[in-house]
Amino acid sequence: MRRLILSTATAGLLTAPASAEQTALRNGEIGYVLTSLYWSIYQSDDNSRDCPNGFNSGPRQQYEALFPSDGPAPSIVDARLDLEGQTWNPEPGDDGFPFYEPQGGIARGFDLDGQATEEDYRSPEGEPGIDNQLFRTVGCIIGFRGPDGVEFIFENKAIKDERYNRLMLHLEDVDSLENDPEVTVTVYRGLDRLLTDASGERVVPGGSQRVDLRWGKSLIRELDGKIEDGVLTTEPIEDLIIPWMNLSVPSFQQIKEMRLELALNETGAKGMIGGYADVETWYRQLMRNDSTHHLSNGDISAISLYKQLRRTADGHPHPETGAMTSISTALDAEFVQVFINAPDETKVSSRTNGESPSESE
Amino acid sequence: MILRSFIASLLVLLASASAQDVFDLYKDEPRPEGISVRMTELEGAVFTDEAGHTLYTWPQHLLRNGYSGEQKGRIECYDIVRTKTAGLMSPYPPGVLLPELDTRPSCTDLWRPVLVLEGAEPIGKWSIVEGQDGRRQWAYDEQPVYTSHLDQEPGDTTGGTKRRYGGEGAAARNPIGPPPRVPPAFRVMTTAHGGLVMTRDARSVYILNGESEGQIRCTGDCLDSWQPLTAPALARGDGLFSLVERSPGVRQWAFRGQPLYTYSLDSGEDWMVGSDVSGWSNVYLWETPEPPEEFTAQDTIAGQVLADAQGRTIYLYSCGDDSIDQLGCDHPTDPQVYRLAICGRGDPEVCQENWHYVPAKDDAESGSRAWRAVWIDPMTGRFSDAGVEGAMRVWAYRDRPVYTYFLDEKPGDVRGDATGEWRGGRNGLKAYWIRNAYFRGQ
Repeated sequence: MRRLILSTATAGLLTAPASAEQTALRNGEIGYVLTSLYWSIYQSDDNSRDCPNGFNSGPRQQYEALFPSDGPAPSIVDARLDLEGQTWNPEPGDDGFPFYEPQGGIARGFDLDGQATEEDYRSPEGEPGIDNQLFRTVGCIIGFRGPDGVEFIFENKAIKDERYNRLMLHLEDVDSLENDPEVTVTVYRGLDRLLTDASGERVVPGGSQRVDLRWGKSLIRELDGKIEDGVLTTEPIEDLIIPWMNLSVPSFQQIKEMRLELALNETGAKGMIGGYADVETWYRQLMRNDSTHHLSNGDISAISLYKQLRRTADGHPHPETGAMTSISTALDAEFVQVFINAPDETKVSSRTNGESPSESE
Repeated sequence: MILRSFIASLLVLLASASAQDVFDLYKDEPRPEGISVRMTELEGAVFTDEAGHTLYTWPQHLLRNGYSGEQKGRIECYDIVRTKTAGLMSPYPPGVLLPELDTRPSCTDLWRPVLVLEGAEPIGKWSIVEGQDGRRQWAYDEQPVYTSHLDQEPGDTTGGTKRRYGGEGAAARNPIGPPPRVPPAFRVMTTAHGGLVMTRDARSVYILNGESEGQIRCTGDCLDSWQPLTAPALARGDGLFSLVERSPGVRQWAFRGQPLYTYSLDSGEDWMVGSDVSGWSNVYLWETPEPPEEFTAQDTIAGQVLADAQGRTIYLYSCGDDSIDQLGCDHPTDPQVYRLAICGRGDPEVCQENWHYVPAKDDAESGSRAWRAVWIDPMTGRFSDAGVEGAMRVWAYRDRPVYTYFLDEKPGDVRGDATGEWRGGRNGLKAYWIRNAYFRGQ
């Protein structure tokens, strides 16, 4: 919580025009819409310190190593199709290429398990026990790092651009945005485009959103939370499904044991979403959106990445094999205040039991 | 063979008998002798040769690393067997040996040029192009014209589609046909349901059930959500489009006599939002046949997909090779190494575990050519015959087997969508979207 209050960036986001402050919290309710989301990757200002062994190799480098351009022409079955076969039918193990992890022992995230182990990180503020093995996995892949990694740019850009990704938080029973021991948070998907300023780029508070009760019905979640010193924290829920397409593929991320930690005010919210990402879902969301071409632009070898994911996964052991099926992670998230046209509660509840939404409308 | 020829002749006669209907929907433009127009199940009206086979062109496409296809007035498809990849699709380089070279066909083995008979002259949009091999070939809108070896009967469009599947696929061949007979204010887009009528600026148009000229029901508050498509003073009806007088001096477009509207809450990405409102429907110039009875429709988080009887999402495999000829690799008669790589890293048994054929009952019939029950050898992926050990009778769409995916656990899951190279468009699988609520072109 302390890290949110002390963050200067957060203070900037939460500077509120007086008019909005007077109106956004109404009848104990306030809504926020997601405008920025990306895997929390701690970067110092020195790449050589973060990744002293360098960055990991991508598909083009690995192809050249396996099938040198000055060598005999390979067959398509031995070369491209074998690599694509491994990509789409991934297996744990070793692919013969070194895999580099970030150094320094610092990462952002949550202490998800209440323990401080050797694999855990310290937060930038010194808090021990930070669980973020996804950072260990992708921290030295150039395509995942800011400011110009292909994933860093396009995954986040899609959050604003694509209505499919329109995740919203609806807070109810709110007495104060400073302190309230008991609030209810409902996650919905919105249906509408975002309200922006004249540039078309900056999302501004005060927009409105309808709730997607048909295609988005299965995305609805309810969380119990509290607000302390302007920071909302929630109890973990079983999972959150984040609809997240960045190249026109209806994919999603599944974050198990998901919890929120967000600094709030009347114009927006900023902080982190934490939990364990389902490994297979995480990998396939990336692959289905990007395929090998786009990953090549970020030097992301899917084959190497999957093997590393399986090595670093640290949550939800498979009941039969014992293999870890999820990986600890945190996402940096920003929301902007929005007025949510809240659906009729009776209709929402009737839609959570498998009833066809079109029949009940 | 005799029976097949008889059926083909009969279908040609039937097509001729329904020619008047075709030209209610499509413009009857001048065309060479021997070139006809007929309705098809999936593509609307197409041009056909004397045998009734659909005609295709191969327009130039910009791929990631260069162009493929044919420029206007230029033939690129010859009787030459290509042996190496062209490197047109990143990230893989050119010069890689293509598969099954001992049996690899040439471009003209699969795409048969429609040759000009002696004495024939150009007419209308039809011109004559000459190839480097001396052949004289018909061109439509200056694009050389072919038939597909995959089309077996008149009305088949197995060789290609007008539907948009995004820009990541091969440089595909497209069926060609006359322009739809719609006033300038409208356009028609080929979709899973048929020829969707839209405004020229790509907004869906709708009709309200029970409305007709003199019986206008959408008035008052209804007009807050529904905008009548009014017509300028000089507009004239054409084909099935007419004009009705909504109120004195205000003329409104109508289709088959029913007034047309747009819907204020259409997002621009989902053309069917208005059809969720009771009583309102999209407008189609023609409609595709229904899938077989045992298939279902399921809601997902992105729209509606076709599913099997248990609600499992249906996937279609598509593939184009990386030769300069951009030959298909998604039909059971094509090389199977591409599909096997994606579905099971080359192992047909793994493929069957991951991507399941959709079994058809022994007596299953679809009632259409688009959907057929076919016999497949699952170990080779090729067509088989009834009674052959291991052969399965499975459903095929456009003569290609369809699949369900092992990671889809419940109805509405679409975890397999965009599996494979270039988001499934180049060598992979995509869900069969009945209604895609969030992205264009499917």
